[in-house]
Amino acid sequence: MSGAQTSPALHPQSAPHLRVGMSTRRMTWLAVASLVPALGFGLALFGIPGLVVVGVSIGSALLAELATTLPFRRFTLADGSALLTGLIVGLLLPAGAPVYVPAAASAFGILVIKQSFGGLGRNWMNPAMGGVLFATVSWPGPASWSIPPLGGAAGPAAPPLEALRSAVSAAGPHGATPLAALDKAGYAFSSLDASAIDWINAHLLAPVGLAFNHGALDVLVGHVPGAIGASAPLLVLGAAYLLRRRVIRWQLPVIYLASFAVLSLAAGGLASGGGWLAGGPGFHLLSGNIVLAAFYAASDPVTSPLTRTGRWVLGISLGALTFLMRYFGSWGDGAAAAIVLGNCLTPLLDQWTSHRPGAAPKGAA
Amino acid sequence: MMYPTKLPKGGVDPPSVITVPPGSTILNAPLPPRALIPLLQHAGSPARCLVKPGDPVTEGMLIGRAEGARSAHVHSSIPGVVTHVGPCTLPSGETCDAVTIELGGSFQTSGKPAVRRPWEGMSRRDLLERIRSAGVVGLGGESQPTHLKLAPEGRAVSLLAANGLDCEPSISVDAALLRQRPSEIVEGLRICQVVLSPGRTVLAIGDQSEDLAAAFEGLIANAGMKADVRVLPSRYPGGHEQLVASAIAGRPPSPDPSVVVINVATLHAVFEAVVLEKPLIERVISVSGFPLARPQNLKVRLGVRIGDLLEECGGSATDTRKVLVGGPMRGLSVDSLDLPVTKSTCGILALGAAEARTAKELPCIRCGACIEACPWDLVPTRLFKLVRMGDTDAAFREGLGRCTECGCCSYACPSRIPLSSILGRGKHANGREGHG
Amino acid sequence: MNAALLVLGLCPAIAMTDTVIHSVWISAGLLLVSVLSTLARRILRAVPTGDRGPADGPGLIAALCVSSVLTAGFEAGLLAVSPEASTSIGIYAPLIAVNVLAVGEPLPSGATPARSVVGAVGRGLGLGAALILIALVRETLGAGTITLFPVGAFKGTIVISALVDEPVRALGLAGGALLCLGYLAGVLQAIGGARQRAGAGGEKP
Repeated sequence: MSGAQTSPALHPQSAPHLRVGMSTRRMTWLAVASLVPALGFGLALFGIPGLVVVGVSIGSALLAELATTLPFRRFTLADGSALLTGLIVGLLLPAGAPVYVPAAASAFGILVIKQSFGGLGRNWMNPAMGGVLFATVSWPGPASWSIPPLGGAAGPAAPPLEALRSAVSAAGPHGATPLAALDKAGYAFSSLDASAIDWINAHLLAPVGLAFNHGALDVLVGHVPGAIGASAPLLVLGAAYLLRRRVIRWQLPVIYLASFAVLSLAAGGLASGGGWLAGGPGFHLLSGNIVLAAFYAASDPVTSPLTRTGRWVLGISLGALTFLMRYFGSWGDGAAAAIVLGNCLTPLLDQWTSHRPGAAPKGAA
Repeated sequence: MMYPTKLPKGGVDPPSVITVPPGSTILNAPLPPRALIPLLQHAGSPARCLVKPGDPVTEGMLIGRAEGARSAHVHSSIPGVVTHVGPCTLPSGETCDAVTIELGGSFQTSGKPAVRRPWEGMSRRDLLERIRSAGVVGLGGESQPTHLKLAPEGRAVSLLAANGLDCEPSISVDAALLRQRPSEIVEGLRICQVVLSPGRTVLAIGDQSEDLAAAFEGLIANAGMKADVRVLPSRYPGGHEQLVASAIAGRPPSPDPSVVVINVATLHAVFEAVVLEKPLIERVISVSGFPLARPQNLKVRLGVRIGDLLEECGGSATDTRKVLVGGPMRGLSVDSLDLPVTKSTCGILALGAAEARTAKELPCIRCGACIEACPWDLVPTRLFKLVRMGDTDAAFREGLGRCTECGCCSYACPSRIPLSSILGRGKHANGREGHG
Repeated sequence: MNAALLVLGLCPAIAMTDTVIHSVWISAGLLLVSVLSTLARRILRAVPTGDRGPADGPGLIAALCVSSVLTAGFEAGLLAVSPEASTSIGIYAPLIAVNVLAVGEPLPSGATPARSVVGAVGRGLGLGAALILIALVRETLGAGTITLFPVGAFKGTIVISALVDEPVRALGLAGGALLCLGYLAGVLQAIGGARQRAGAGGEKP
C-alpha cells in the first residue's frame, strides 16, 4: 500500500510544538484597542488640540523607536509597544500642552527609558510615566495647560484637582468634601452637570435625604479640563476587557486603587482639615491620572513583581505613595511619580519575595 | 479508596481536540509488508545483532541479544526473511543498526488462541527472567528495561505505582488500555507486586478514567491483592513519574529511588511476557492530529512504517506540515515518514500548517506565565537568562537540575521563547545530567 | 581605586556642571591641584604618599593633606582673581581635594616625576573636558544660556532665545546631570571598546 503516496513537506522543529494562544504582540495590541473608548471620549471633548497632542506623542514614540532600531536592521514597531507608550503619554497630557511637551515626553520615554536599557522587556521604569514625569518636571507650566472641554464651563480651565489645591493654599484647609470646597471657591462645572445633578437630587435623593454636590457627574464621567484620557468609567471598561482576556492581572491595579481609597478615606481629611474619615476618596479616585496609572502602568508585566506577594506589597505601596504625594506633597497628581518610585521597588520585592528553589531533593541520585 | 487529588502546581491545557477518545476501540493495524526493527529501542546500549541478510526469521524470534549492563532483547515482530542490516537514524537523532525484514511465511502465535502459563509460585528471579527474555521495556516513553526497573539493587521499595495517566495530551494509550484490558493490567500489577514486595501499591488513573475506579477496585479485590486505586488529575504533565509519585505521597515532586512507577501499557506487556510467554513485538499507539480523518488508537507491530499508519488513519499529505513521534509537548519532530514504530513510540501526531507555523521570538516581558506553569516550582524566566548568559552553575544552584523539560513553560510563554529547549541545553551542557 | 572616593567625585560633577563657567573654574582647579600635588608627592618621596595602593591608609591621609593644602591655596587664589566665581563655587571648591585623589595616580608607578606630571595633566584635562562637555549640554538645554568669561563688551552670557523661556528644566536638576554623565560615560565606553576591538583585530596577522 505504501510507496506511491507523495511525502508531505515536513519541517522538523523543537518541542513543544503547540503554544498558548495569547502572544506578547497580541497582548500589546489588545491594550491599545482597550484604550480606544477613553481616547475617543477625550478627542470628542478636546477636539483638534487633543488630536494634535495624542498624534504628536504617538508619532514621536514611533520615530524614536525607529531611530534606535533601523540602524541595527531591526524593525520592532509590529509588537505595538511603542504605539502603546505614545498613546498612554498622549492620554496623560492635557490638550493645551504645546507640541514639544508630548514630543519630548514620548521621545524621552522611548529613547532613554526603554531603548537605552535594551528595548522591550528590559526597561525597569515605565516609559510612559517616566516620560510624562520628565515633561512635567521640565516644563511645569506648559505641561499642565488644559483647555475647557466641549460643553464645559468657559473660562480659565484648571483641572478640578489643581483648582482644589489652589483653593486650599489660598484659603487654608476647607474641612468639607472636595466638591463642596470647589463649589465654595467658585469652580464652574458644566451646565449639563448642573441640570443633571439637580434632577437627580430632586427626584432620587431628596426622599432619602442625600444630595450630590454639583460637579459629581462631570468628575465621574471625566468631563473636566485636564488630561485627555480622564474618563475613569471608559478606562475601567477597557481594563475590564483586558482582565477578561487575561492580558493583565487584577492584583496590582485593584490593590493600588483600594489602598489609595482606604488611605484617602481614612486620613485624607487630615490634609483638608476635615479630620479622620473625611478625605473624599471618590473625588480623588476620579481625578488626576490614577486610574490610568493603575490599570495601564502599574499592571505592565515588565515592571511588576513576579510573585503574588510582591504584587500585593507593591500595590499597597503605590497607593500609599500616591496618597502622600496628593495630599501632603507639592506634586499635582502624584500618580506618575508614585509609579516611577514603585518601579524602583520592584527588583527589591522580587528578591525578597521569591521562594527559594534549588534546595536539593532528598535522596538525589 | 480513591481521592481525587489536585495537581499541586502548574501544568497547561493544550487543546484536547487532538486526543483520540479513550473509549474508542483499539484497532489492530494491518500487518506491515516490511518491518524495520532498530536494535536500540530502549534506554541503554544497543542489542547485538544475531541475524544477517538472507536469514529466515519467525514471529517473535530473538534477533538482537541484550548487551551490556543496561540493555534489552529485540525480537522480530513479523515472520519472513531478513533483507538488510544497516544503520538507521532514530527520531531522537541517534543512529543504530536496524534489521529489515520482509513479510513471508506463517505466523506462530497470531491468529491462534493464547495459552496461559501458570506463574504463581515462581521465584522472583524466574519472573524477572521471563520479563527479560521477552524484551519488555517501559512503554510510557522512557523505555527503561523493565527487568532492571523491577530489580532495584538491595533497596526497599516503599511504593509501587501503576501509572495509568498518559504522558502527553494527544495520547490516550493508557486510558484506552485501562478501559479495554483491565484484567491483564491488574494481573501485570500483581506480578510486579510479587517481584518487588513494595510497602504500598497504588493504581493511579486519570480523571477521564474515573468511572473505571470501582471496577478496578473489584478486580483488585478478586485477585486478593492489596492495592489502592487513586484518581489523579490528568492535566499535562500529570502523567510524569515524579508527579504521579508526588501526588500519591503528598509531597513535592522529586526523584525518589524507593518509588517504582510502571506504566499500565508496560504492565500489559509484563502480563503477556509472564503469563502468555509472548515477547514484546507489538504495542498500542495513538495516531492523531488535525489533518487526520480517522484518528485512532492502533495496536501495531513494532517496525511498521510511520507513514503507513498515517495513511491508515486518513492523513493527507498536503495538509500535514509536521509529524511528531510522541506528543505535542515533548515529541520529536521527524523529517521522514520511513521511520519505524519502536518500543518507545507512544503516539504519532500530525500537525497542519496552522499549528506548525513558527512565531518570532520576542523579548521576555516578565509576565510570570512560565512560573505559574512550571510543576516543579522553578522560575524559568530567571533560569533561561542565566543559561543564555553562560552561567549554568548559578542556574543549577537555582534548581535547573530539577527541570524535566516537560515543555509547560515554553507552551505558556507569550513571547514564544523556547524556554524548555534552552533549559535542556543548559542542563546537558558539559555533559552534566543534573538531578532527575 | 577606592569606591568611596569615586562617589565623592560625583558631587562636584553634578553640582558644578550647571553652568559652563562653573565647570571651567572647577576643571582649572582640578588640573592645577592635580599637577602640583603629583609634583609634591614625587619631591617628598620619603613621605609615604599612598602610592602603595588604595589599601594604604596612612599614605592616603598624607596624600589628602597634600592636596588639601593645595586646594586651599587654589581657593585663596580664586578669591583674589574673581570673587564672584569664588562665591558661586562656594562649598564645592574644597571637594577638589578629594576629586584629585579619585582621579589621581592609582598605583605605585615607577614613572619619573616628569611622566607623572604629564599623566596628571592628561587626567586633569580629560576630566575637565568631560565636565565642560556635560555643563555645555546641561546649561544649553537646561537653562537656555551659555555662561562664559566676560570679555570686553561681551557680558559673559550667551542667551539662546528658543530655549531660554522654557528650557528643559529636568536637565538642570541633579537627575539630569546624572543622565548626561551616564550617557557620556556610555559613549566613552563604546569608543574605548571599539578602539580595543580595532586594536585587537589589527594585531592579528
